[in-house]
Amino acid sequence: MAGRAQIRTNNSALIAMIADEDTITGFLLAGVGNVDLRRKTNYLIVDSKTTVKAIEDAFKEFTTKEDIAIVLISQYVANMIRFLVDSYNKPIPAILEIPSKDHPYDPAHDSILSRVKNLFSAESVASGRR
Amino acid sequence: MLFDICFMPISSQNSVYCTMFSLMEKQEDPEPSTVENGSEKQEEEKQVKEETLLHFLDSTDSYLTLIDSISSTLRQGWLELASARHDMGASRVNTALLDLKVHSASTSVQVSQQDADSMFAQHRFLLRKWASSDDGESFSAEEKSRENKLPTESDSQLRHRNSSHYSEKTSERNGSPLTLDDQVQKQRSKSLSVFGVLVSPRLRAAQISFETALEILVEIANMRSTMLATFDQVHEELEGTQR
Repeated sequence: MAGRAQIRTNNSALIAMIADEDTITGFLLAGVGNVDLRRKTNYLIVDSKTTVKAIEDAFKEFTTKEDIAIVLISQYVANMIRFLVDSYNKPIPAILEIPSKDHPYDPAHDSILSRVKNLFSAESVASGRR
Repeated sequence: MLFDICFMPISSQNSVYCTMFSLMEKQEDPEPSTVENGSEKQEEEKQVKEETLLHFLDSTDSYLTLIDSISSTLRQGWLELASARHDMGASRVNTALLDLKVHSASTSVQVSQQDADSMFAQHRFLLRKWASSDDGESFSAEEKSRENKLPTESDSQLRHRNSSHYSEKTSERNGSPLTLDDQVQKQRSKSLSVFGVLVSPRLRAAQISFETALEILVEIANMRSTMLATFDQVHEELEGTQR
């Protein structure tokens, strides 16, 4: 297309994950696991012992790294750091909320749908969740 | 011109959102011929606004359909993983066995930004499954030719091994398709080998399910980008008319 200027490209960006053990295992089978020279992984396995602070730190780390294009986060984990996820508004990396085994997807909690729902509803986003 | 949009979820698990879109035009008195050009311009602007809004609603609907699809694909993957764990034993299928040596991801994503100068730039994501350094060079040549196509739901930009798209591309290449297949199989086996040499066929099936899930997730990322860009446009236009 004529006139298209400056297409920024990243040829091999990573997919980061913050999810439960089975989801991480499955996606690692699909080949998205990466361990860099500092022995840091592009995933965080969330279990009952994982603290909210650890999840927040991992989210901040993944969203500030330049080589990560997509961050997959289980919706129930995103609910623990909902303030952080909702206040995130950069296009890259894309934050995708996925369901988990024990917590099916709930569109009322999806941050993207909440953002666009404002176009149609006069109610505040927070009131719809309670 | 008034927009009346009703967004009614049927159930949280049901991806079919019913959107009622009714457009009511005000009846205007016939204008004098001197302002005909002005009304034509208004008509065009109105059409553009309607198209943007329709585009936004379409992308939202596609997003929700894809979410439903990822839910069912992931469920299948978890079931297969659980079956594999049952076959092989819990000690053989767990994250304690994961490789923490330095290694790079075999499956990655290519990101490109379209219309970088525009306020409503969109990002396009392209999945590169089991890409080796050799594949990287041949991928880039073909992806440039596809960047000019408008992204649509049916126009899958994913390089799935067994799809007809891939078979057309392999005929264009100089390399032998068997070699590429072998490489992909090798990468898959390497990924499975973390859990031992002899693995349950259900673990292989789980691997395929999660690969499919990755493809759907990349489509979701593209749809999300489109949704946000068109939402910003619609929002901007609405604010403009309210002033």
